[in-house]
Amino acid sequence: MGASSTLLMVSHGHCLLCLLFSVVRFIYIKTFNSFDSFRIKSLPSLPSLSLSPSLVLMDRRFPFKVLEHIFSFVDSNEDRNSVSLVCKSWFETERRTRKRVFVGNCYAVSPLKVARRFPKMRSLTLKGKPHFADYNLVPDGWGGYAWPWIEAMAARRPFLEEIRLKRMVVTDECLEKIAASFRDFKTLVLTSCEGFSTDGIAAIASTCRKLRDLELRECIVDDLGGDWLSYFPETSTSLVSLDFSCLDSEVKLSDLERLLSRSPNLKSLKLNRSVTLDVLESLLRRAPQLVELGTGSFSDELDPEEIAKLTKALSELKQLKSLSGLWDLLPEYIPLLYSLCPRLTSLNLSYATVQMPDLIDLLSRCSKLQKLWVMDLIEDKGLKTVALCCKELRELRVFPSGADLDETDVTLTEQGLVSVSEGCPKLESVLYFCVQFTNAALVSIAKNRPNFRCFRLCVMEPFAPDYRTQQPLDEGFKAIVERCKDLRRLSVSGLLTDKAFEYIGVHAKKLRMLSIAFAGDSDLMLHHLLSGCQSLKKLEIRDCPFGDTALLENAAKLETMRSLWMSSCFVSFGACKQLSQKMPRLNVEVIDEHPPKTRPDSSPVERIYIYRTVAGPRLDTPEFVWTIHKSPEVGVSRLSIR
Amino acid sequence: MENSNSYSPYSSSSVDSTKPLPSESSVNLSLSLTFPSTSSQRETSQDWPPIKPRLRDTLKSLRLRQRGYNTALFVKVYMEGVPIGRKLDLSTFSGYESLLENLSGMFDTSVICGTRDSKHHVLTYQDKDGDWMMVGDIPWDMFLETVRRLKITRPERC
Repeated sequence: MGASSTLLMVSHGHCLLCLLFSVVRFIYIKTFNSFDSFRIKSLPSLPSLSLSPSLVLMDRRFPFKVLEHIFSFVDSNEDRNSVSLVCKSWFETERRTRKRVFVGNCYAVSPLKVARRFPKMRSLTLKGKPHFADYNLVPDGWGGYAWPWIEAMAARRPFLEEIRLKRMVVTDECLEKIAASFRDFKTLVLTSCEGFSTDGIAAIASTCRKLRDLELRECIVDDLGGDWLSYFPETSTSLVSLDFSCLDSEVKLSDLERLLSRSPNLKSLKLNRSVTLDVLESLLRRAPQLVELGTGSFSDELDPEEIAKLTKALSELKQLKSLSGLWDLLPEYIPLLYSLCPRLTSLNLSYATVQMPDLIDLLSRCSKLQKLWVMDLIEDKGLKTVALCCKELRELRVFPSGADLDETDVTLTEQGLVSVSEGCPKLESVLYFCVQFTNAALVSIAKNRPNFRCFRLCVMEPFAPDYRTQQPLDEGFKAIVERCKDLRRLSVSGLLTDKAFEYIGVHAKKLRMLSIAFAGDSDLMLHHLLSGCQSLKKLEIRDCPFGDTALLENAAKLETMRSLWMSSCFVSFGACKQLSQKMPRLNVEVIDEHPPKTRPDSSPVERIYIYRTVAGPRLDTPEFVWTIHKSPEVGVSRLSIR
Repeated sequence: MENSNSYSPYSSSSVDSTKPLPSESSVNLSLSLTFPSTSSQRETSQDWPPIKPRLRDTLKSLRLRQRGYNTALFVKVYMEGVPIGRKLDLSTFSGYESLLENLSGMFDTSVICGTRDSKHHVLTYQDKDGDWMMVGDIPWDMFLETVRRLKITRPERC
């Protein structure tokens, strides 16, 4: 093995053989065993590593090169974080070798510190706004600006190749800076971002000669027209993936055709809705090597000849595994997709308002399907077909077609999910919108599928009990957390008492993210969660009737988590102040769009967002956000630079 | 339904779990009584059920189509004092905010809803009964069903 040959070159005598043995064993353990012994329980203490003392002593004489080589086998950032806590020299070695940097909360640490710490950084992933921003719960202008990060990296890490941002505000200035500063820039993935226009995209397209991935996933873009597409270099491009599905305006067909013709490495292409069906054939002909395709609109009238040509072009996509887009898919065009079905592993029908009988025709042919996103138009019957035919299914998302509660003329009930949980042995991730549910169904589902890692149930009627027994859904969710021992993410809904949260606190040991709406009776609910749930990292709560007591009693827990979001709950201003004083390394942000004229301690706050940070209070808060100051005399301060 | 035997200093305002099942409209009411926050905006809120904006917009146009409307909903917009009006497809907007943004861009001035102001251009609409109303009073969906024309009033004349 590599390590042993390196060691043999260094002459340190006979003890080297002991070193060699330990190192080889170390590498063996790293690569073949689980990494649980490396997990740390809480920030300050050392990991419970089972290291022989000799290995720890040896690090002083261990040449940096050897450690570096060993660490190159350590991929996951969680493990790297653990490794860096062992001792100073491991910290130094690790930080000099980390290539992929992930920062889950852009305000948890300063960009400068991150830039300085990781000199070999090649890839940066950042997340900004809290998750509930996706559902309009975070007012515009809250924050999450990418600029300080881009600026810091541009100055210090010019070899950065990949930037992935989620829920951040990215301006054209940021994009231009990226284009100008990173010579080898390869990958830009923006998910749920906003603040930029197509001009910024044009800058990236024209300047980044080695660009491989340009993906705009569900961003809000100031769309100034489709010209940006013509800015890619005229010579052959190195594009591997291009996703502009969130843009509105039309791109020129000739620009797109020419781009495809000179992008031989393109594997993933996601068009926007304004790319009409009649031009799809010409595009596909130029990119038969596609593995992922997001079509544009699928509803134009085509004549028989065009249909024949398109059918042929689709059938030529021999490598295609993933299909999405399909806006307004007309039932008569479904047969065009049949040739693709047997190879499909991922199918996103969220924008295809196709009814159940047609969906069955399509899905019954998709025997290799692993990921299915579909509207509730699929109904219980359609899900039964999925259970029968899609035995490889790992992830299912069912979205509501009537976004109001009074639009339920669709027969999707809890039975649909029960069928899929029965029939699909590999199912591990679910997002299911339904009007009402039963405990019995939840218990069945838990029994059938103890391998769930992500279970998100949204019972759309707030406070809806088990509709058969009128009981709260406590017992149902109890079954889920008891049986699904690997559960990492959970969203609960329906009528739930404090008892449900007691079960979750006790049993959901690996739960990292929990979302709650309209639930619980009292502070006890939050107390159960914060005093239990060992692995909890992100908790988001809306419209639940508690606040102060549980929050203050469990303040220490908050430092072990990434963040806590609470909106429309009963948290008082006084409790926020107390919490902030108690916990120096937490930022307690009060978000109030309609603040009262005076703020007595008992006054409730609209929303709070609490997150751990080593960067102190942020300086870019808008007028409706207050970071509670640490020292009681100052009280509330709004440190902001305008 | 058992009441949890927990002590809460805010028990007087906690949700009473022995209440009968609320129907949808009284959910809004009981929430606004028990939760001291933005529940009054719940009718026009775009935050429940928790789906992303793009899907929400897609569903809106789907719903309009299902109700027998054409997907496009063209109305004429006049700026007070300007004889020529502009045509606008209201179905392309997700709500009042995007409508105002678009109008502000179209007429190159800031247009707002609601409060009469000596400084701003205020948007009004003529409903199906022929009456001129302030834009923003009713939920967006109801607005789409009743709006016939839009007028942007001049600041002084409000």
